[in-house]
Amino acid sequence: MIITIVLTGGLLFFLAYGVLQARRSRFLAAAVGLVSIGGIALVLAPDSATRLAQYVGVGRGADLVLYCWIVVSLIVSLGLYLRIVKLHEAITLLARDAALKAAAARSGRRE
Amino acid sequence: MADDGGLWIVVPAYNEGPVVASVVSELTERYPNVVVVDDCSTDATAVAAEAAGATVLRHPINLGQGAALETGIRYALSRGARNVVTFDADGQHRMEDIATLLDARETSGADVVLGSRFQGGTEGIPRGRRILLKSAVALGRMGRRVRLTDVHNGLRLLSRSAAERIHITQNGMAHASEIIRRIGELDLNVAEVPVTIRYTDYSLRKGQKLASALRIVVDLLVGRLQK
Repeated sequence: MIITIVLTGGLLFFLAYGVLQARRSRFLAAAVGLVSIGGIALVLAPDSATRLAQYVGVGRGADLVLYCWIVVSLIVSLGLYLRIVKLHEAITLLARDAALKAAAARSGRRE
Repeated sequence: MADDGGLWIVVPAYNEGPVVASVVSELTERYPNVVVVDDCSTDATAVAAEAAGATVLRHPINLGQGAALETGIRYALSRGARNVVTFDADGQHRMEDIATLLDARETSGADVVLGSRFQGGTEGIPRGRRILLKSAVALGRMGRRVRLTDVHNGLRLLSRSAAERIHITQNGMAHASEIIRRIGELDLNVAEVPVTIRYTDYSLRKGQKLASALRIVVDLLVGRLQK
């Protein structure tokens, strides 16, 4: 019972976060909403996880949840890595601009 | 082909304080337009290069050799370069080979002239390094439009047109493979000429390790994912 309350509370908080992100990214909000609502459903009806697991060919509900968590984590990690790469590209452009401007300023002072 | 002032030599450098002055001095004796891009070195690379007669650009943070090359190329183009030669700061390249690149450009009209150590020669190359580089050539041939004998040679000449169109986005060592790929995508005329690479204790200490080779593969794959 206690764990049900804790998990449901946490997932409701996560759902609220997703709703707040809707203006920034509808895709992110939808993904967070899906995970939260799906998670709450599994927490409130734990047997449904087992039935769903057997339907898709996995032995136990807990295993299904774990596999889904691994896949979601890998996708999120890849997405974050690609964002970091994009940020690095932006930093590169800024650093290059700074180097070229400094060179132009030094050249202007010498002339 | 004499240097008529339209040639700029771009030298990316990171912590090459012990050798950069001698490399730059040798270059500036013959070629007036040398730009060293200091990739936020922690030693006196920038000061030494400037004292030796190079124009020095300084990155405020360390970005990688690919980024330094692109910065230098953009600078050279802004100064009216008609041809751009990329040249390593660690003393591995010979100044005499720049003339070989220029002659090949003039006689063949190629947009890009690449130096090849396997057509030319190497001085002191360790066996492991040779195997690694040959493997890179073999792997690169799979699916690549441009057939080359040396895909990781930093000595290359780009015409102005080629330099304007090949935008190096790989900051690290994967830039060499990216340049080759862009040459293929842009369908540029490319020539390969023999050059000599000098392997010294200094350059070998700074050279690429197997881990760097794996990093190059990862960077190229991520680059593909972004497209």
